[in-house]
Amino acid sequence: MSLLQIRDLTKKIGNKVIVDQVTLNMDKGEILGLLGPNGAGKTSTIRMIVSLMSKSGGQVLINGTDAHANFEQTMKHVGVIVENPDFYKYLSGFDNLIHFSRMTPGVTEVRIQEVIALVGLEHSIGDKVGTYSLGMRQRLGLAIALVHKPSLLILDEPTNGLDPAGIRELRGHLTHLAQKEGVGILISSHLMSEMEIMCDRVAIMQKGKLINIYKISDMAADERTQVQFEVDRPDLAVQILQTLMSGDEITTDQRHIQVSITKAHIPEISRKLMEAGINVFGVHAVQKTLEDKFMEITGGEDH
Amino acid sequence: MISFIRNENMKIYKRKRTWVMIAIVLLYVVLQIVNLKTAGSGATNDNWRAQLEQENVQFGKEATKTDALNIEIKQAEKHIVLNEYYLDKGIPPSTNGWSFAVSQVRNIIFAVSLISIIIAGEIVAAEFVSGTIKLLLTRSASRSKIYISKYAAAILFGLMLSVAGILTSILLGGFIFGFNGLADSYFYVKNQSVEEIPMLQALLAGYVLNIPFLLITITLAFMISAAFRSTTFSIVISLLVSLTGFIIAIAMDGWSWTKYFVFSHTDLTPYIYGNPSVDGVTLSFSLIFIGIHLAVMYLISYPIFVKRDVV
Repeated sequence: MSLLQIRDLTKKIGNKVIVDQVTLNMDKGEILGLLGPNGAGKTSTIRMIVSLMSKSGGQVLINGTDAHANFEQTMKHVGVIVENPDFYKYLSGFDNLIHFSRMTPGVTEVRIQEVIALVGLEHSIGDKVGTYSLGMRQRLGLAIALVHKPSLLILDEPTNGLDPAGIRELRGHLTHLAQKEGVGILISSHLMSEMEIMCDRVAIMQKGKLINIYKISDMAADERTQVQFEVDRPDLAVQILQTLMSGDEITTDQRHIQVSITKAHIPEISRKLMEAGINVFGVHAVQKTLEDKFMEITGGEDH
Repeated sequence: MISFIRNENMKIYKRKRTWVMIAIVLLYVVLQIVNLKTAGSGATNDNWRAQLEQENVQFGKEATKTDALNIEIKQAEKHIVLNEYYLDKGIPPSTNGWSFAVSQVRNIIFAVSLISIIIAGEIVAAEFVSGTIKLLLTRSASRSKIYISKYAAAILFGLMLSVAGILTSILLGGFIFGFNGLADSYFYVKNQSVEEIPMLQALLAGYVLNIPFLLITITLAFMISAAFRSTTFSIVISLLVSLTGFIIAIAMDGWSWTKYFVFSHTDLTPYIYGNPSVDGVTLSFSLIFIGIHLAVMYLISYPIFVKRDVV
C-alpha cells in the first residue's frame, strides 16, 4: 500500500481548471519533489492534499484512507510545513510547540523535549517567537511538523527566504528522516538544484497538469550527454571528429570541443584524437541538470 | 475538545493586551464607586425620611413632564413606589458592597460585552491575518472543533470577566461602603407593589438574566470574524451595533415596535423582577427571539468557516 495515493485530483475555480486530474503515488521513505513554474498548480495540489482547499474531483488516500472523508484520522500521520512559517509571535517557541502538540492526541512531554533537541532550539525555545530569525522559525516549524511522529511530511516551498546554510540544514534533516525513519516527504519548490540533490523522484507540473515523473537516478544514465574534451588544437580536433560523426553537433572554443555522444563513445574518440597527435588534457561529461530537463519538458514557457 | 479550548485560552491570556482590557473593566468599577462616594451616597443620615420625601417630589415632577421618555416615567414611578415603601416600613435605604454590586451588574455586563467584542472579533480573523490558520487547520482537528472551541473560549472570556467585575464590585464596594447588607432584602416593584428577595438571589439573577446581551454581542463579533476574516470590520461593526442597540433599547423602551428589536430582549430581569415594557411579550418570546438571532448568526458563519478554501 502506498503512503500517499493521489487519483485524478482536480480543482476548478469557476471555468478555470487550476489542477487537472493529477495522479501520483508515493512510498515510505521516499522524497518526492513537486516542480513547476509559478501558477502550475503545485501549491493548490498540496493544499488539497491537506484539505486547506476543497477538491473539485478525484481522491487523496493517505495510508489507504480517504484524506477528505477521514480528515482527523489521516492528519494524525501528516506533518505540514507551509511557506513562510508563521506562528503566534506573542507566545514563546515552547508555547507554540505545546499549542500544536495538544492538537494531536498522545504527544508526550519526552517527545516534545526530543524534537526541541533535534532541531537545536534548546537555548531559545523559551523566547518569544517575535524575536526569532527566519532560520529559527523554520526550525520551530520543523519541530511542530515532527512532534507527533508523522509518516508523511508535506512541505510547501520550505526553502523560500532561507539562506544557504539554512537550506543545507533542512536538507540534512529531511534526508535523515526519509532514510532512517522511513518518513515519506513531499516537497514543492522552485529551487531545482536543491530538488536534484535531495529528491528521489521529481514530478513536473505545468498548467495544472502533471506532465512527467522522473527518477533522479535515471536522468544521470540518460543516453546522450554533452562531453567536453580539453585539447591543445581544437581546429584539428574538429576535423577529426567530423569524420567520425557527421551531422552531430560540435561546438568549440579556444581550448575545448563539445559533442553530444553516449558514454561508450568516449574512449574511441579520445584514442583517435591522440593518434592524430592532439594532446587531450581532460574529458568532462557535462551532466544534464534537472533545470535543463525542466526547460526541455516545459518548453521553457512561463519561466 | 478541552485541549482546544485550553489552546484558545492560552492565546487570549498570554497577551498583555488582554490584561489591559481586563484592567479597564475593573477601572470602570472603581470609577462608579468614586462617583457614588462623591455624590454623598452610602451614608445614612438621620433625616433620611425628609430626603426620600424630597426625592419623591422630584420624581413626581419628572414623571409628569410632557417630553419625558417612557423609561423616565417608568423609573420615576418605580422610585416613588419604592421610596413610599421605605417610608412606610421605616427602612432607611443603605448602600453597601452587596447592594452596590447588584446595582452595577447590568452595567458591568455591558462594559464586559464591549471588551469581549475585541476578543471575539479577533479570535478567528487574527489567525488568517497572521497566517497561523494554515498550521491550525492542518493538524488532526476538524474545522468544526476549531470553530466551537474558539466560540466557547470567547463566551467563557465574557462570562469570567463579568464574574470578575461583579466580585470586584462586592470587594471594593464593601471596603468603601461596608460589607453589611448581605442579610438585607433586595426590593423591587412588580405590578405596582413592592416585593423582596434575598440580596444574593438578586445578584445571581441579575448576572444570569443579563447574559443574553453578552451572548448576542459576542456572537455577532464572532460571526463577522469567522465569516469575513477581518478583525477591524468585525470589531467596529459589532461595537457600533451593540452600543446603538443598547441605547435604542433604553430610549425606545415601551414602544410596541421594540417587540421585534433584539436588544430590547437582552435584559430578562423584567420578566421575573418587574414587568415587561411591552404588553404581551413573555419570557419565552424573548428567549425564542434571541435564539433565532443566535441561530442565524451561526448559520451564516459556520458553513463559511468550515468550507472556505485557505489560500
